[in-house]
Amino acid sequence: MQAETTNRSAKDPRGKVLDWIEENPQEVKKADIIVGIPSFNEADCIPFVAEQAAIGLKSYFKDYRSVLINCDNNSEDQTRQAFLSVETDIPKIYLSTPEGLKGKGNNFHNLFRKAVDLDAQAVVVVDADLRSITPRWIKNLGEPLFQGYGYVAPIYIRHKYDGTITNHIAYPLSRALYGRRMRQPIGGDFGFSGAMARLYLEGKLWDECVALFGIDIWMTTLAINSPHPTAQAFLGAPKIHRAKDPAASLGPMFRHVISTIFRMMEAFDNTWKQVLWSKPTPIFGFGLGETEMPPPVEVDEDRLYRGFVDGFKENLNVYEQVLTQDVYVKTKEIAGLPYEQFELPPALWAKIVYDFALGFHLNTVPRDELMQAFVALYFGRTGSYVRTTQGMELRVVEDYIEEQCLVFEETKPYLVDRWEEAKGQGEE
Amino acid sequence: MTKILVVDDEASIRMLYREEFEDEGYEVFEAEDGHKLTERIEQDKPDVIVLDIKMAAYDGLDLLQEIRQQFQDLPVIISSAYGAYKGDYKTLAADYYVVKSSDLSELKQKVKKALEGKVPGKKGRKTS
Repeated sequence: MQAETTNRSAKDPRGKVLDWIEENPQEVKKADIIVGIPSFNEADCIPFVAEQAAIGLKSYFKDYRSVLINCDNNSEDQTRQAFLSVETDIPKIYLSTPEGLKGKGNNFHNLFRKAVDLDAQAVVVVDADLRSITPRWIKNLGEPLFQGYGYVAPIYIRHKYDGTITNHIAYPLSRALYGRRMRQPIGGDFGFSGAMARLYLEGKLWDECVALFGIDIWMTTLAINSPHPTAQAFLGAPKIHRAKDPAASLGPMFRHVISTIFRMMEAFDNTWKQVLWSKPTPIFGFGLGETEMPPPVEVDEDRLYRGFVDGFKENLNVYEQVLTQDVYVKTKEIAGLPYEQFELPPALWAKIVYDFALGFHLNTVPRDELMQAFVALYFGRTGSYVRTTQGMELRVVEDYIEEQCLVFEETKPYLVDRWEEAKGQGEE
Repeated sequence: MTKILVVDDEASIRMLYREEFEDEGYEVFEAEDGHKLTERIEQDKPDVIVLDIKMAAYDGLDLLQEIRQQFQDLPVIISSAYGAYKGDYKTLAADYYVVKSSDLSELKQKVKKALEGKVPGKKGRKTS
């Protein structure tokens, strides 16, 4: 069948008119469940993910009208053709941003619109570069959505050096702030209900960082702060994708994710200031038998250490303004330690994160400079974590991360007091 | 009075916890295993549960999943003789994990923390 491409227009959450491209060869008009696969130049990987997703839909949601949607960034590597040529009974829709418009968040925005158009009850999203996805992932992420849950985040085994932004910032901070424990708030694979799709389409707090890599934490934070119940799905198989050395490939993702977290803190400050400690979130999907171990992730420790020590010297001016005196002095001391003795402990790290959140809120220094200075300290914390956890088994590392989260919760009054103090001084 | 349900197959542990927590002013209920546990929760309406993992006929981690499905925000503290279960992803459904000890100060502190936690509630889960 010759696919027909439709160019459509709609307003993005900021009110800007955006074109989007749709190819709907089976002319799907309604769907109960969607599996969305965001992509940019994933022609090599997307057929496998689409096949697994299709098997999942056929095996576990056979009584529902289902569709696979690739939400793409106008890839130049034949992603569209690779996706549409996957042989399956499940109908497929290809969506894309127009040429020149990139960003994972923009892909998702197209998916939200289509989910609302199709009146879907459930949307499961899986990354296009996954190599470990099984049909069970679709079941585990999708089923809770038919049991009244609004949002389902993943739990999977990740290598201890994979997901360092999650382990040291996104998870402990979102947990301490909002009181809901979501182990993988930026995991990239999750489920959300039709009601949540409509809420996302309203575009509250949407900005250019959300349109890029900030989308995952934006969705999770809105879900946690919505009235809709949230859950987690244990996916059994480890997340095997293009895992990256945190020292070598931070890229723009760090800025997008952290800016989004900090900006949402401003919007929800009346909520998180009331939150004390945290609560677990229900978990679905156990009983899969033995879980596999993830492949190793190589880390360049020297690069992390140098990034911290050199970055500290380069950004002294920012630290003097953003960190409290006590935190500044301790961090400076650590930045002067030789590699063999260097350690940036969780208690200090929690205060650093809180100081930077407040610095962002108060615009103490230009935000680009603030982010650049924060990266150096993040390298310090990550390097310290790598040193501490060397030789530790994954389960022990999980316990270590849990302890770090408790430290963030216990240190939270430091943030609340500073935030309130700033408000009292009329600096908002 | 704040109610604690202790689920443990060792009578001596239940007795110890009862004495210690009653001294602290709690009302203590006991269950020697997981038999009809969710019904028991409906009936006794505990404010917090202290749950063993390795029981003769029941796996505390499975019971934890059952509890969590029905009582999303009911605090559950795992109290196990084994630290080896720490880091098991199933334990993420518990509020806290405490390794058993003759000194109950950590357990008491975690019970207190679980009870004083303030997190915005979610609307009730619908079933389809």
